[in-house]
Order: sequence, then structure tokens, then C-alpha cells
Amino acid sequence: MQPRLALFLIYLIPVPLLIGSLFIGPADTVSTKEVLAWLTGPWFAPTPSAVLDSGLVRTIIWDVRLPRVILAFLVGAALSGSGTALQALFRNPLVDPYLLGLSSGSAFGAALALATSWMPLQVSAFSFGMAAVGASYFLARTRKSVTVISLILSGIIVSGIFTSLLTIVQFLTDPFRLQTIVHWTMGNLHNASWAKLNSSAPGTLAGLVWLLLFRWRMNVLALGDEETRAVGLNPEHQKLLVLIPATLAASASVAVAGVIGLVGLVVPHMTRMLIGPDNTRTLPASLALGGSFLLLVDDCSRVAASFEVPIGIFTTLIGGPFFIFLLRRSRVGWEI
Amino acid sequence: MTSLLEGLHLFFSYGGRGVLHDVTIEVQQGQFTIILGKNGSGKSTLLRIMAGLLKPDGGTLQVMGRDLNDLSLTERAKIIGYLPQFHRPIFPFSVEDVVLTGRASYVNLIPGHEDRRIVLRALERVGIIHLRLRPFTELSGGEQQLVMIARVLAQEPKIVLLDEPTAHLDFVNQAHVLRLIREFADSELAVVAVLHDPNIAFLYGDRFIFLKEGQVESWSSSQKPWDTEVLQKVYGPELRSIPYQDRALVVPIIDSK
Amino acid sequence: MLLLSLVLEGRGLFPLASEVAAQEVSAQTIEVRDFRGKALSLRQPAERIVCLIESALSGIYMLGAEARIVGISANVYREETYRYYAAMDERILNKTLPSPGNWDFINIEKVVGLKPDLVIIWAHQEEAIRVLEERGIPVYGVFIRSFEDIYQEMLALGNLTGARERALQLVAHTRESLGRIQSRTAAMASGDRVRVYYMWAQGELETSGKGSTVDELISLAGAVNVCGSIEQEHLVVNIEKVLKWDPQVIVMWHNARKDPGDILHNPMWQSLSAVRQQRVYEFPGIFPCDLWTLKFQYAVKMVAKWCYPELFRDLDLEKEKLVLFRELYGERPALFERMH
Repeated sequence: MQPRLALFLIYLIPVPLLIGSLFIGPADTVSTKEVLAWLTGPWFAPTPSAVLDSGLVRTIIWDVRLPRVILAFLVGAALSGSGTALQALFRNPLVDPYLLGLSSGSAFGAALALATSWMPLQVSAFSFGMAAVGASYFLARTRKSVTVISLILSGIIVSGIFTSLLTIVQFLTDPFRLQTIVHWTMGNLHNASWAKLNSSAPGTLAGLVWLLLFRWRMNVLALGDEETRAVGLNPEHQKLLVLIPATLAASASVAVAGVIGLVGLVVPHMTRMLIGPDNTRTLPASLALGGSFLLLVDDCSRVAASFEVPIGIFTTLIGGPFFIFLLRRSRVGWEI
Repeated sequence: MTSLLEGLHLFFSYGGRGVLHDVTIEVQQGQFTIILGKNGSGKSTLLRIMAGLLKPDGGTLQVMGRDLNDLSLTERAKIIGYLPQFHRPIFPFSVEDVVLTGRASYVNLIPGHEDRRIVLRALERVGIIHLRLRPFTELSGGEQQLVMIARVLAQEPKIVLLDEPTAHLDFVNQAHVLRLIREFADSELAVVAVLHDPNIAFLYGDRFIFLKEGQVESWSSSQKPWDTEVLQKVYGPELRSIPYQDRALVVPIIDSK
Repeated sequence: MLLLSLVLEGRGLFPLASEVAAQEVSAQTIEVRDFRGKALSLRQPAERIVCLIESALSGIYMLGAEARIVGISANVYREETYRYYAAMDERILNKTLPSPGNWDFINIEKVVGLKPDLVIIWAHQEEAIRVLEERGIPVYGVFIRSFEDIYQEMLALGNLTGARERALQLVAHTRESLGRIQSRTAAMASGDRVRVYYMWAQGELETSGKGSTVDELISLAGAVNVCGSIEQEHLVVNIEKVLKWDPQVIVMWHNARKDPGDILHNPMWQSLSAVRQQRVYEFPGIFPCDLWTLKFQYAVKMVAKWCYPELFRDLDLEKEKLVLFRELYGERPALFERMH
């Protein structure tokens, strides 16, 4: 596909998808006609809007579907935007936001909050996610510089430590709480509400806007530390300027939606395959594509069963094989 | 001729081992200075110190009359363009995108039209404008080196420092790259390069600095740098020089039975 | 429904053949089948029991056989259960009764060190069961899927602790008492029955479907589980489904992080009849209405009263609780003080 056409499509897709998702839900709750009537009510008013406004239709569209659709899009955008940024930062296409301990840190924070009620769940998940990435960063820092390899290694260690701590919490807790913790770690969007969206959106949006502003710097960083320094930027400062917003956006998302796997790894690749490695175009496109991807997966999961299946399972089951298919048939957008 | 960069009595050691010992160097506008010496003589270290990437343990470095340490990274990058040793990026950025990163010290967040114009001019000057949309990773070694040189030009520096710009290049490409660098010096840039091969250095360079075990080897005013005695002091006894035009070529001595 | 209640009452009066079978093998040997289907035989009632399941432990206290307990689950020492057990047992009050494991983890070495002649753990803990049985320690494996399973467990525990009569009496009494509740709603047309949404503590959308103990609880109370069309013990439902089902009553399992007020004020739940009529109720604690013990009858009574306040006008839940606990646990003044 021509990159220009691909870019156009990537930015076009979210619009119908966001609107279309409002029509999607379990078969027997609200009909397409009712959704349409409610959406167009204010302008055309074929049905008395007061009737629609008070009832089930309004609740389902406004309080249930709309926050879920927006949250799904935002979380997808945050995970893939953060993935794109970190892959450029680490000059490694195998990096995703979870590599530096974000997921295990957040999961531990969530488990701790669920088991002990010491702090609100989202606050705890968010803080521990940030703390885990911070720990990885500082452990990797030797002689004022952080090499890619040492950062990835310390990320693996920190992840391991937080996973063990999570296991301790799981081990000490009762079966009811254990189940809650396990569900949380599988990722979920079914608890979406305006309240959750409000708590997540500021962090996510702040992180994403920051990343967008610094997106060209990622091109500079992607060429190497010495190459970055030679053109007048301090690579250590620049890494932090990317690492902080990337972690902020991903943590804020993980804190409300749990650990949703593969989005942060697969979507950046898909975007680069379609429009190339230039982050000035790839980063915004990966936000649109990541949001659309997660929204679409969530739509599928909402239609598929009358009960809720954790979204993380779907993203991994759909994303995994699709990714392998892409890797096998096309130019992958990076070289070893 | 103005002196753009002056290093006085530079010392540097790494892990307890002395790498540079009382090195004094001067780089002048419009001249092509070449640093020569055997492996491990401290050539690259000296260049990296001049680029501000390493801090000397002793001595001073002045760039256009100011101490190098007083310059911010951005200010430094606008004066000194540094070409690191060859390094392959992972992502297949287009040639234009790679060269554009040279503008980092001028760009606030996102490069503008002016930056893109300067990039195109740099590509034209290096003679690879036709490659501008090609993925960097798919180019040959010689082409990639030209792209990195264009990146240094896009930085619009006064001084260009090149670390083995011809390593990994075939014979023809070596000549091409050095002819290009020669032109930079002729257009009033100060150019310093670290080179392995004294032959190609003598063909294109103006001034030569020989390093031996971290110290500058000097020669008397009556001698030329390609005189056999000078070369034997630096590289050892088993070579001699053969006159070529107004310069000379260096060859190893072989047993003629 | 009428027929079912008759059958249940009938069972209460005449114990089923299988319930009787256990006692009659020989005067000395006790033969019991556990939830794995494994036959256990003890020469005499167990004297040293390690019981790592809190609900089964409760059953043993109901049988008055707590003197035979030498090890319990660490979970019992948690605040929400400790206060009740401490009132029943000095050893728990002083924390001297060893806890060689919890609901999930078993310290085999500690268990063996207590020299038990019976270990009661979950039937699915196969690894631990194998290790214990290899050492010649009899294991009674428990797995509760229905209230009928609780009866079976109580009768088996009665046999194993030499309190068979007491067990029969408790089971018969429970059946009788449930029969009385059921008979009041028995004649009700299915369309008149109240629709109930049950909410577990794990999350607002976590509930139980057809074939679960919760489903049984709701139907015993004469109501209908809105999620009864989905055959799953535990599931997370789509909130749109709940909105569509429009339950008239919401029953919350005891929840440390949420109470009915949170549901009543959640904008997403506003369209529900249960919310509009403020009929959202929470079980007061895990211990008093434990669904995995005979105490489930108290839960049934609460749900019945919440669903049909008119029909059960005479049912005083507070009084009922004290009467029930006296019947189940025997005369334990300190425990009743805690119940208030």
C-alpha cells in the first residue's frame, strides 16, 4: 500500500469506528434504530427525545457504551504510542511498555490495593507502574549514562521482582481477592465508566501530547547515543524526555484497564510496516491505529459472548497470529 | 588563516593507562588536517576529545577563542560537526530523515521548511540527492558513509571532525569520499580526520599529525612528513617512501632475493 | 416448586438411604465417601483432626466436636472470622491452635508434625492429598457445589467425629426450616416472582448463573436469578445485560470496598428498578451467612425477606439469627454476644 494512502486510511478509520461502536453490544439490549434515534434526536427528533432520554437507551449509550468506547480507544492509543516511542528510544523493535516492569509493577500495585485496601486501586497501580520503570532506569544507570542493554536487563530483573511480590500477595490473600487480582491482570474494559475515564484520561492525554511534541527527537535518538550527542542533544536527557511521558501514558491506561497484552508491541510494528519508520508520521498514526485496534477487538468481544471475557485475552489471541502473519509476508520495518 | 581550534597540553588516561600525553594541536580554517598513527596510538581518543565527547584529564581546548567546556551541547554542535565511526541503525529511515537529524541543534521540536532545504543542499553537495527517499539500511557502505557526511554538513559546522571516514569502503569510494572532504577544506571549513592509510592521507591532506603511544611525533623543518625517517619513527623500520608527483607513497619493504 | 418443597421436607423427616448407609457397616469401623468419591474408613472417630477449610471447621463446631481439632487454616485467624471463633474456643482466642496452612497452601511438614488421624482439605488439592495419603494419613476431600453437598458433608463429618446424631438433627432441622420458607412462596406464579441480581465482592459485574449455589439460594427464597439463563458457576456479565434484565432487587455478597450506597449512586445503574426503589442489599458479613455451611439458610431467609417484605412481615431477621445460631452452634453465650 502507498504510505500516503495508508496514512489517510489510518486517520480516517477512527471516525466511523468510534461512532459504529456505539451501535455494538449484546444482541437484545438496544436496537440499531433506537441508538440512531437517540443519537440524531437533538437534530431531527422523530421520536420525542424526552422518552428516549430518560430510559434505558440513554443509560446504555451515554453511560455504558460511550465511556467504554472512548476508554478503549484511549488505552489502545496510549499503549501503542508508548510502544512506538520506546522502540525508537531503545533502537529495539522488541520493546513494549511492559518490558521495563510497568505491567508487573502495576499488577503488584493493584493486587496490594485489592488485598489490603491501603490505597485506591488505580492510584496504587499507577504509582507502582511508574515506580517499577523508575527503578529499572536507575538500576541501569552507570557512570551517568544508561545503555539500552543495561536498561532492558534491569527491566527484566525489576519485572521479575515485582512478579514475585505479586505472587506473595496472591499467595497470602483469600480466594475472593485472588480472583479479583487475576481478573485485573488479564485486562478489562467492562468496568468502564465516566469516573474511570476521568481518572485515566488526564495522565494518558498528557503523556501522549508530550510524546507528540517530542516525536522528531525520537528519530535523532534512534540513530544512536554518539550520533545524538554529535548533533547537539544530550542522549541521556532525551531518553528521559521520552521515557517519562511514555511511562505516564501507559501507566495511566494500565491503572484503569489492567494488563492488556501485545497492543504496545504489535501496533507500532503494523504502523511502521504501513508508513515507514519516521516517527513524525509514525507516532501520530500509531495512536490512531492503536486506538482503532483495541476498540475493534473490544467490539468483537462485546458481540461474541453474553458474558465478559477479559480483553487482554482477545488482544493476545488476535494480535499474536496476526503479527506473525505480517512478519512472514512483508518488509518488517526494521533490521537486525 | 585563523586558528579555529586549539588544544594545549592535553592529557588523557583510561583505566589507569595513559592514552594521550601532552598533546598540543591546532586546527586552522581551510585546512585538511589528518591524524595518523598505528592502532592504539590514541588517534580516535584525540578526535573525540576535540569533539567534546571525552573530557581531557589535563590541558585546555579552545574553540574559536572560547573554552570548549563553556559551550553548551547545542552551541558546540553548531560549530563542530563530528562523524562517529560507522554505525548501522536498526530502523530503515529514509536518507532524507537521517540527514535531517543533523539539524537537531537548530530545531526546536519539529524541523521546518528551512531545515529541509538545508538538507537537500547537503545531499546535493555530497552528490546523493538521487538517494534521498531510499531507506538508509538498504544502501551500500559507501553510500551510507556519504549520507552520514551529508548529515554533518546539514549541521552547518565550522569545524568537521571525521573518525576514519573511509573505513569499510572500497578503493574507489575511499578516493571519492576524500576528494569530497578535500573540497570542504577548500571551501573554508576546518577539517580534521583520523585515517589509517598514510598513502591516501598524503594525497589529500594539508597538515599531518603523527601520534605514537599518545605523543605527537615531530620532524625537523627540512623534512617532509612522507620522508622515510619520519615514517620509520612512527610505523617502524620496515617501510620506505616512493616519490609520487610532489608528494610520496609509502610501501612496506619486501625481501628481493 | 410445591413438589420440590415437599420432597425436601420429606427428606428432612426420613433420612435418605445413602445417609443411613454410612453408620451401619460395623460397630467399630466408620465408612465415609468424600467428594472425590474416595472411600475412607476409620476404626474409631477421629481424635486429632487438621481442618484447613473454614466452612468445614464451622461444621465441626456445630457438631460440638471442636476438642478433636488440632490444626486449622490460617484464614481463621483473620479478623472477620477470628472474632467468632475466639468466642467459641479458648485456643483460638489465645492463638495457640496451630495453623499449618491456609485455604490454598499446606505445610505438609507441619501437618504431619501434628500427628493427625484425619485431614480435611479441598478435594482438588491432589498433590497434597497424595503426599498425606502416602504417609498413611486419611484425607477427607471437600468440594461444595450445592446445598445438598453441605448436607452430605455435615453427615460425613458427623460420622467421622462420632457425632452422627447431632449431624442428622442439624440437617433435618435445616431442611425443615427451609421448607417453611419455601412453602410461603410455593404457590406464586413465575411471573410474580421477584427478579434478583446477585453481585459478588470481586466486582459489580461478577455474578453466578444457572446451577450455582447462588442460583439455588435465590430460588429457595422464592425469587428468580436474572442471570439464570447462563449456565456458569461464576461469570462476569456485560452491564447492558443487567440493564436489560432490570432486576427488582440487588443482593450484594459482603463487600469490604463497596456498599449499597455506591450502587445506588452509580449513574450507570440508575435505570434499574432495584436502584429506583432503593432495593439494594448487602449480606452483613461472611461468617453469619456463609453459603458453604448450614448457615446458608440464614442467607435464604434474608433474601426472602428482602424480596417479599410483605410475605415475610413476621420474619424478624435479628431474632432469627440468634435462634438459628443457638440451634446450629449450641449454647455458646460468648458467641451470641458477638452476634448482636
